[in-house]
Amino acid sequence: MEKLLEILEEVKPGVDFENETELVDSGILDSMTIIRLVTAISDEYDIEITPLDLVPENFNSAKAIYELIERLSD
Amino acid sequence: MNFYSYLYFLCFALATYVVYLIFPKKARWTVLLLSGTAFYLFENLQLAVFLFAAAVCTFFTGKVLTSLQERFNTEKKELPKDEKKKLKAYYTKQKKMVVLSAVLVNLGMLLVLKYTGFFTYMLAAFMRPFGFSAEVKPLSFALPLGISYYTLQSIGYIVDTYRGKYKAEKNFAKLALFLSFFPQMTEGPIGRYDHLMPQLTAGKGYSSERFTKAAVLILWGLFKKTVISDRASYMASTVFNDYPRYSGTLIAVAVILYTVQLYTDFSGCIDIMSGTARLFGVELSENFRQPFFSKTVSEFWRRWHISLGTWFKDYVFYPVSLSKPFGALTKICTKSMTKFWASIVPTASALLVVWLGTGLWHGADIKYVVYGLYYFLIMLIGMVTEPLWIKLSDKLKLDRKSGIAEGLRVFRTIILVCFGMALFRVDSVTDFGAIIGKIFAFQDLNDIVNGQLFALGTDWQDFIIIGLGILTLLIVGILKEGKKDVLGAVSTGRIYIKWPVLMALIIAVIILGAYGADYGEVDNIYAQF
Repeated sequence: MEKLLEILEEVKPGVDFENETELVDSGILDSMTIIRLVTAISDEYDIEITPLDLVPENFNSAKAIYELIERLSD
Repeated sequence: MNFYSYLYFLCFALATYVVYLIFPKKARWTVLLLSGTAFYLFENLQLAVFLFAAAVCTFFTGKVLTSLQERFNTEKKELPKDEKKKLKAYYTKQKKMVVLSAVLVNLGMLLVLKYTGFFTYMLAAFMRPFGFSAEVKPLSFALPLGISYYTLQSIGYIVDTYRGKYKAEKNFAKLALFLSFFPQMTEGPIGRYDHLMPQLTAGKGYSSERFTKAAVLILWGLFKKTVISDRASYMASTVFNDYPRYSGTLIAVAVILYTVQLYTDFSGCIDIMSGTARLFGVELSENFRQPFFSKTVSEFWRRWHISLGTWFKDYVFYPVSLSKPFGALTKICTKSMTKFWASIVPTASALLVVWLGTGLWHGADIKYVVYGLYYFLIMLIGMVTEPLWIKLSDKLKLDRKSGIAEGLRVFRTIILVCFGMALFRVDSVTDFGAIIGKIFAFQDLNDIVNGQLFALGTDWQDFIIIGLGILTLLIVGILKEGKKDVLGAVSTGRIYIKWPVLMALIIAVIILGAYGADYGEVDNIYAQF
């Protein structure tokens, strides 16, 4: 999780990723930022994220992103 | 559509509604299909063949894709992991070939009918330096109604079936209804199969609440179109059609009026269509969410023509960004650039594809390409300079989230969007350059007060009515931003709230609407795509 928070901070600095639960719904993460994030986490965790995974529910919080990573790593 | 076309349209919708209610619940969707077919055939009998061809192609593609997926699911059982992988690769390849062919057929019809003239013109221009000097007559075809909308719906359905988001529709007539539901034929919104189909086939009957909601939305849309948009259009048209005659000050006002016209025209039409769809228990997807409250241009495009933006995001931006060539590009960038640029360049490249597509979707002209590039450049500059602004405001101890800072960002976005609208309206990029030059010359500022302003088709009474109309929109918009849905509250409110508001809207449209012998007819801008 800590590594993920580091990546998030790098891609979009200045956001309270630990507590924010509406990252996509409130417009903090737009599609361009999501793609930059996906590229970074795909590399870091060696997972393949497809367009079907790119839905707000998977990116609204750091916890949701982490769960997506865990799901795809299985 | 002008005011009278809307009246015809609403009569058509009401007649359909009566027949729809007479039919048994399970068969009501057939009334919607037949009315859509009739609507289309009245428009143009010959061109209906293209919609039919698109429906046939889309239907069979979906069936083939689902059957390939099911065969894979059956064959993979009890296979070892390696074999499963090979089998998956084999079926993915097969499915990709099917999707590619179907997208080419659907897109091909749109490209040939809409863009042949543009492409031949561009080819001739490209060949000229190589000695090719033959006169090229631009080819143009009549466009089937709503082709730019239903083509995107078809492609969305095909790609979603390929991705396994849902199984293909088994009934051809139902798929045809999905592509030809008459309220969304002319200006969208671009619907998604999994969102629309359950609603289209639910056969919901009459309910007082649904009927009132529909009526409020339709009247609200008519208010936007006839009271605000059409009045704003007169001066905007006069100035844009002959801009060299007018001062930069008058052109600047015309640019603002055109922005008002386009927004109230397009969102008004969508409200009318959404209201009509609600009669049949169908909630079309949201197409506008107070776009002029956006703090950035990217945010504006998430609130303006939402169904087009999300379509490009889901079916162009995401797949392009996650494709193998872009993966390779990312790797090259990571090796040869700093971390910051390595994250920007691949995203920006995919964004360029999206904006070229969005620009061209709006029309077959070089100006629409420039229109797309205009927004691409603004977003690119925003991406590149974002860390700089954060650092600068931290150093100066400025609060980026203060009311003043956010207000200034909204103002900046409105200005940038107004210039985008001007580019959208002018006949050529050269005209756009000339218009910008005149505006920034800041000459004849007194044209606003010397009476010139009110002599160009939109007089002072019109300006007052437009102003009051915008104020109404602003109040409703501010409340909606605060999660208070005024239109929804009116629909579900008590009778002493509901009826006065409905009456006020009807009276506003009848008395303040720009129609009749004194007013020209103004067609919808987005229906021309």
